[in-house]
Amino acid sequence: MPSATSDLDRVAAVVLQFMRGPIVVLLSVYAIGISGMALMPGQDADGNPTRMNLFHAFYFFTYSATTTGFGEIPHEFTDEQRLWATVCLYMGVVAWLYAIGSIIRLAVHPVLLRAIAERRFARNVNRISAPFFILCGFGDTGSLLARGLSDHMMRAVVLDADTERIKALRLRNYRHKMPGLCADGSVPRHLLDAGVQHPQCRAVVVLTGSDEVNLKIAVMTRFLNPRLRIICRDTDAEHRELLANVGEVALVSPFEVFAQQLSAAISTPLLRAWEDWLVGDDSVDLEHPLPPPRGHWVLCGYGRMGQALHETLSAHNVHVSIIDTAEHPGKGEGDGEGEGRRIRGRVDRNSLQDANLTDAVGLVAGTNNDEENLRILLSARAVNPDAFLIVRQNRHENELAFNAAAANLIMQPSLVLARHILLFLLMPTLGSLLRHLRTAGIGEVAELARRSLQQLPGGAPLLWSEQLADPFPVVPGCTDCIDRVALRDLLRDPADRQRSLEALPLVVTRGGGHFMIPGQDFALDTGDTVLFCGSRRARHLVHANLNNPYTLHFLITGNEPPRSWFFQWLSRRWPMGSSDADASREGATS
Amino acid sequence: MNLERVVFGFFIILALALNLGFVIGEVDNPSHHSPWLLFSALMVGLITSGLKLGDRSQLGALVLAASLVANLLLMIAVSVWAIAEGGMEQTASPELMVTIVSLGYGALASNIVSVSVLASDTLMSRR
Repeated sequence: MPSATSDLDRVAAVVLQFMRGPIVVLLSVYAIGISGMALMPGQDADGNPTRMNLFHAFYFFTYSATTTGFGEIPHEFTDEQRLWATVCLYMGVVAWLYAIGSIIRLAVHPVLLRAIAERRFARNVNRISAPFFILCGFGDTGSLLARGLSDHMMRAVVLDADTERIKALRLRNYRHKMPGLCADGSVPRHLLDAGVQHPQCRAVVVLTGSDEVNLKIAVMTRFLNPRLRIICRDTDAEHRELLANVGEVALVSPFEVFAQQLSAAISTPLLRAWEDWLVGDDSVDLEHPLPPPRGHWVLCGYGRMGQALHETLSAHNVHVSIIDTAEHPGKGEGDGEGEGRRIRGRVDRNSLQDANLTDAVGLVAGTNNDEENLRILLSARAVNPDAFLIVRQNRHENELAFNAAAANLIMQPSLVLARHILLFLLMPTLGSLLRHLRTAGIGEVAELARRSLQQLPGGAPLLWSEQLADPFPVVPGCTDCIDRVALRDLLRDPADRQRSLEALPLVVTRGGGHFMIPGQDFALDTGDTVLFCGSRRARHLVHANLNNPYTLHFLITGNEPPRSWFFQWLSRRWPMGSSDADASREGATS
Repeated sequence: MNLERVVFGFFIILALALNLGFVIGEVDNPSHHSPWLLFSALMVGLITSGLKLGDRSQLGALVLAASLVANLLLMIAVSVWAIAEGGMEQTASPELMVTIVSLGYGALASNIVSVSVLASDTLMSRR
């Protein structure tokens, strides 16, 4: 791994640079002290002249330098020796103090700490053995996305240039540890450390606050690993064009996503509600979804959100009046009847009345200022208490105020974006599933919503994929071999065969093709991948069922297969249905 | 209810019971330890292992291993008794008896392991 070695080089360089001085000093002090001690004339116990050998001198110096005193060995010292020993003690203590000071300074040196943090991060990433995603940018959207991934038992690696955010990341209690590094993601070395070339890395999600940095990360990632999916926060037109050249970068804009969602809510309210239900929005009512009313709408604020909504609403032949403080040259000519009016100025009761809010069915408070949006809500409610209110909440910290405001729909760009990306990451087949449902017509969607409610009354489903082994694990010695599994059998509860687990299969992928919303009787083949949504318990049990041939056999046939050779022989000799199988067969027919 | 579970459970618990019956008593007193109990514990243990052969599940493998250990220890105990005494008389010396009964305790431990694995497997499958 190139990144690891370069880190190691840097650590070694920093250590050497810091320790060079102390090591030279220590070595010279030791050399002078030891040779001097060996040269000093001494006496043995009988008074014969003798000298310390070098080993004894080294031993003496070793204990005296740090502890100053152990006694005089091997013989009582002479005065000459004592004189030199005093010199040795002072030299040694000073040299050691200097060395220890340097070590402590080294231990808190920012460059070294950084290098160590990078190395540890790279090692943690390297050890990941399950699919993971790289998140560049850990702001509102990034942390919501990380939480969502954690709820779906997925892993992520985080890069952010802000130290505080990485510190915050370390305190989160995710199901899997998410390694984070405080670093600029546009530097290739950091992307490598984050595992951009790791075989389990599935996608890079680029969500930093700067368009330039986002572009750089996308370019670097494309070069480092051409097969990787890149999802990038949408930016202005210029960067959009540049990103298009990078190739296969999925651009997501919270406002366009929201506009699409609003459009879907108008045309297919049930499907829209089901999508919300799928990402765990528990406020959604699957049985009676409430579509936004058609009629005259008032749009306050004509920024990115206002423009996106304007296009969507116009496409549905909805009349829109716009109030904005800024002039929009070239677009202002729609005054008067057909398109609805454009009013320039602040949003207050007068301008709202000018925009004909009293007769409007809905209002969008879509400026990029939260206080302003809340104020618009108050004015709007005074003018027309019955209007359908959509409000944009820009900052996550204002959540309580917005909840208290009781708008019909709160649009939080970071939440919309995080949910959209989460679905995109968890279900790469989501796009084709939704297209299928849109064309399939209202009947199939209603059936899906009904089944979702029936199978998963608890809501907040978990999304996961399960791949069938190829070939199936087969029960040894079993006569009626299994080569196909019906979905119904796979989803039986091993504790009670007649009950179904709380899971709903959404897509079966076989080869390159997809089977959308497979029925209970759908026959699975070896090597198929099934996308489920369901409860945590169901996820656990489906995985266990698939990997235990005995359980799978029991679920399919209702018979407990004989496990040992003796009973296999016995069942061949006297084949008899056990009471278990009879009961289940009766149950199946009834 | 499943015939295989009944039969296997019967033998493995019987092996445990016989084993316990053999080791209970003063450890060095030959009159407290019947050679017949030791012999039948070994026989039942061998049948248990035989019944478990061929099970490829994880827990089955663990139970088989535990019962093989019990059999090994009991076989050593029987051989020690037979070789040292020239026939399994109840007049074995206390030193010898301590060795034999200690081996019996070892077999008891591994029998307890297999019974608890079996019990937990049954409880976990919840049917």
